[in-house]
Amino acid sequence: MEEKVLTRLFGVEGITRLDVYRREGGYKAVEKALEKMKPAEVMEEVKKASLRGRGGAGFPAGVKWGFVPQNVPKPKYLCVNADEGEPGTFKDRYLMSHNPHQLLEGIIIASYAVGIHAAFIYIRGEYEAIAQRLEEAIAEASGNGYLGKNILGTEFDLDVVVHRGAGAYICGEETALLESLEGKRGHPRLKPPFPASIGLFQCPTVINNVETLSNVPSIIQNGADWFLKKGLPKDGGTRIFGVSGMVKKPGIYELPVGTNLRAIIFEYAGGMKDGKELKAVIPGGMSAPILKADEIDLPMDGDSVVDAGSMLGSAGIIVIDRETSILDVLKTVAKFYAHESCGQCTPCRIGTSWINKIVGRLAGGEGEKSDLDTIIHLASNIKGTTLCPLGDAAALPILSICQKFRRELEGYLPHA
Amino acid sequence: MPKIFIDGQALEVAAGLTVLRAAEEAGIQIPHFCYHPAFAPEGSCRMCLVEIEGLPKLELACSTLVKEGMKVQTTSPKVIEARKGVLEFLLAEHPLDCPICDKAGECKLQDYFEEYGLFQSRFNETKEKREKKFALGKTLILDRERCILCTRCVRFLNEISKTEEAGILSRGIHSEVGVFESELVDNNYSGNLAEICPVGAITDADFRFKTRAWFLEKKESICPRCSRGCNIYIDSHPGFPRVPRSRRVYRIRARKNPEVNSHWICDFGRYGYADLDQGRQEALVWKKEGRDTPLSWTKVLQILTEKIRYLILRRKVSRLGVIFHTNLTNEELFLAKRLFRMDLGVEKILLAEPPPGQADGFLLAADRTANRRGWKEIGLAVDAADLAGLAGLDLLLIFGHYLAASFSPADLKNCLDRVETKVLFASHKSSLDALVDFVVPVPVSAEKSGSLTNLDGRVQAFRPALDFCGDGVPEWKALLDLAKELKVDHKYYWPLDSPEAVSQALKKEIPFFQ
Amino acid sequence: MSPEYSAALRQKIDEVIARYPKKEAALLPVLHLVQGEVGCIREAEERFVAQFLGLKPIKVREVVTFYTMFLRRPIGRYHLQVCSNLSCTLLGAESLLDYLQEKLGIGVGETTADGRFTLSTVECLGACEQAPCLMVNFDYQGQLDREKIDGILEGLR
Repeated sequence: MEEKVLTRLFGVEGITRLDVYRREGGYKAVEKALEKMKPAEVMEEVKKASLRGRGGAGFPAGVKWGFVPQNVPKPKYLCVNADEGEPGTFKDRYLMSHNPHQLLEGIIIASYAVGIHAAFIYIRGEYEAIAQRLEEAIAEASGNGYLGKNILGTEFDLDVVVHRGAGAYICGEETALLESLEGKRGHPRLKPPFPASIGLFQCPTVINNVETLSNVPSIIQNGADWFLKKGLPKDGGTRIFGVSGMVKKPGIYELPVGTNLRAIIFEYAGGMKDGKELKAVIPGGMSAPILKADEIDLPMDGDSVVDAGSMLGSAGIIVIDRETSILDVLKTVAKFYAHESCGQCTPCRIGTSWINKIVGRLAGGEGEKSDLDTIIHLASNIKGTTLCPLGDAAALPILSICQKFRRELEGYLPHA
Repeated sequence: MPKIFIDGQALEVAAGLTVLRAAEEAGIQIPHFCYHPAFAPEGSCRMCLVEIEGLPKLELACSTLVKEGMKVQTTSPKVIEARKGVLEFLLAEHPLDCPICDKAGECKLQDYFEEYGLFQSRFNETKEKREKKFALGKTLILDRERCILCTRCVRFLNEISKTEEAGILSRGIHSEVGVFESELVDNNYSGNLAEICPVGAITDADFRFKTRAWFLEKKESICPRCSRGCNIYIDSHPGFPRVPRSRRVYRIRARKNPEVNSHWICDFGRYGYADLDQGRQEALVWKKEGRDTPLSWTKVLQILTEKIRYLILRRKVSRLGVIFHTNLTNEELFLAKRLFRMDLGVEKILLAEPPPGQADGFLLAADRTANRRGWKEIGLAVDAADLAGLAGLDLLLIFGHYLAASFSPADLKNCLDRVETKVLFASHKSSLDALVDFVVPVPVSAEKSGSLTNLDGRVQAFRPALDFCGDGVPEWKALLDLAKELKVDHKYYWPLDSPEAVSQALKKEIPFFQ
Repeated sequence: MSPEYSAALRQKIDEVIARYPKKEAALLPVLHLVQGEVGCIREAEERFVAQFLGLKPIKVREVVTFYTMFLRRPIGRYHLQVCSNLSCTLLGAESLLDYLQEKLGIGVGETTADGRFTLSTVECLGACEQAPCLMVNFDYQGQLDREKIDGILEGLR
């Protein structure tokens, strides 16, 4: 593939240091934006680039920035979603540990575009060492005039604070993230109002994923067209696909948006490990409905994956082999959502736990004939009725597993 | 005024309303647990989901604002399914406690299951076991198995009493309402929690196991325990004639009035209902020669009338004294002023009333009487009751037993022994009983018709919520009877035969009450 | 008797609070700091933090009990947190967990008698490419097998 966007500098020794990053061309985009472009121009460029959110929802970043009202007397905030809790996802960990300044540069440019002077990086609590690395990068950036007051001698001020989470997948949901940042339980909020108007501390807020923001410097440096050409007309750039599970070469792979899923697994990630055969693939983190082995000839871009009945989500590709029992997969999925449900709304709080109990009973050999239908019934009642997307994130994968692998699951019922 | 359609019915509603409120105003009830009109929408129970044309998913009626042309379905198949779904989830982890749960008969979960559910349970797992008798504070008991986590209690303590004693602990299915060990719920509004809990999770030890909600008769009244005049319901047991009951009133509940008490009452008012039944005067007696001789009101009226006529004839009206209090109704105070001050020219009119308390910064006022404002607007000038002033009176009419609270029994005896004839009109027994000549039981305000004026000047009319069981008469009747017997201003008093009639006269003569 | 908290801790807490427009927003970082020093957050710590931030103690407990990383009781010196999510399960995490329990002689949620190790399971750690993984306190260890686990435990004295 041609020049990478995000992982281009990963191999450079010392790239986590500001002087090395700058030597490699870093912070030029900030200089260009602050010294040569107006905030509205920066926003326009990112809109033209069709940069879609890389956290899971895939909403166009530039458009989201544009929702923030400009003329309110309240401060505006940027929250960087570094919670990375979606199972099968580890790309942001790489981006932050291997090139923290690229992220900072993206944060600075985004804040400039929207008129934000305070940014919080909400990083999952387990990434303690990475939080430390980010703090160091921020200190370096501040010490070199890229953060703080009058950045590069302009009127633009920006402070960045690293805020660690404490073990809650739900805090990756943007409004739960805001609640957690405000020092509360991670309970998602009702929408509307949307964070762009009422967000952190009731002020206009932009929430963007780490990978999304890490793309911004190269968009500004090289232009929207350059970025668009790397991907698809309505979905520009590259994506970092995270491949894990039963493959020879698990890891991150930066590839153009729209790369074929089969190719990612079998060409880039080396194919099945230990000579095993493919049974199923989860294409976009655990919240994405499962695909059967014959469903993976699929361009990995947001719209195509939705058309195929799943979602691109966080591009976390989990490869499942034939020897793995689909019941174990279902067990892990059901356990995860029951554990991570925040407990606020009825269908998710009780539904995920109920399903988990049934699956547990099934896995313990005490399943009953009606169990699968019950699971499907419950998941269908969770779908579309919950306060936040975690309900669907639980229901859709469970439904897809029960529907596509029903025969195998029925095989686990004790035969009368 | 946007025009919307709910279940095919065209409605014009105020802008800025939610679908749920708009439906309510049109008489269409949308079921809900976590929504409460006193709080911002919570959106967590998911019971109020409705179908809105053009939107792909079901939407919450409690938080969705109406828009011009919006078409809402509240009983479509999708909505019915969703409601059943929510009920099924709630009932899956809900204990089968109805036979022992105080909330039965007024429980939203029961009501909604009956109306929208009626399905067989398909829950074959083990229900979560939780604490069932957690002492939440004051008289409240929390049953965590019954709790549906609507968070109304937490929100009430955060936003209304602002005492923040409760929170939600843990996560997911293990979520539970909790308090800090040493900081239990302890404020003057705790009783509201048992009311707003939609199920039997929070119950009141004061009411626990005492009766069933469906045996109670609910009547509207006004709380008389301070000058706020909170609107209340009095829940009493009408009693089966065959089964004698030790008391009538089982509880007081808040009655909504946006202008007075919103949806709430304070604990001081809520738990003070024992007074309605206990320590009441029952028999009208003449205490003669150390014995209690039962008497009729007619007889007492006759004796009183004679004595007063005698004083008038002898120009000794200055030897007639009357003690009032500000728990009397507007109508009664008005009659008192007309009869005693204006028509009879009595000077010695005194006030003896319950001592003030502490205001609590919300509903409970420092003034612990119900009608001081009414007395002020009626303009009955009085002096505070002072024992020295009572000495040497020939006839003293004491309305209310509050004199007993202000003076020691010894001082009272000393003073009253020097008054020739004392007539006591009181609702409750007190140390005054032994010191007077006639005891005439009177009803409490819950047993009367009339109106009271609260501290903001709001006049609130009420009808009896309970029967008056004593042998006596309401004060308004005593005063009217006296006026008629004394034949003062015959033309004025003769047509007055009810509190309503007196109220009409009051409104005509004093502009404030119009 | 209420425990003493070091001046250094109080200083750090003040610094953290200063980064937020509202004191209460600093609750999570403050809890991390206190847990870092004390080892866990018990009632005394809840009160301490509540007082510092001007909150009711129950509001602190709401947060402590919501997030899995806040511990309410002391644990061993080394917290072995084994990922039990999908990629790790696919690559044998369950049998490794069994192995750990057998080797340490404790079950999930328990601590060894000598106070060295506490064993827990956790959800996805965000290191699926190294599955199966565990965290020792906050150190990620991946590509585990029995030998590697033996080596890790050896090194943790």
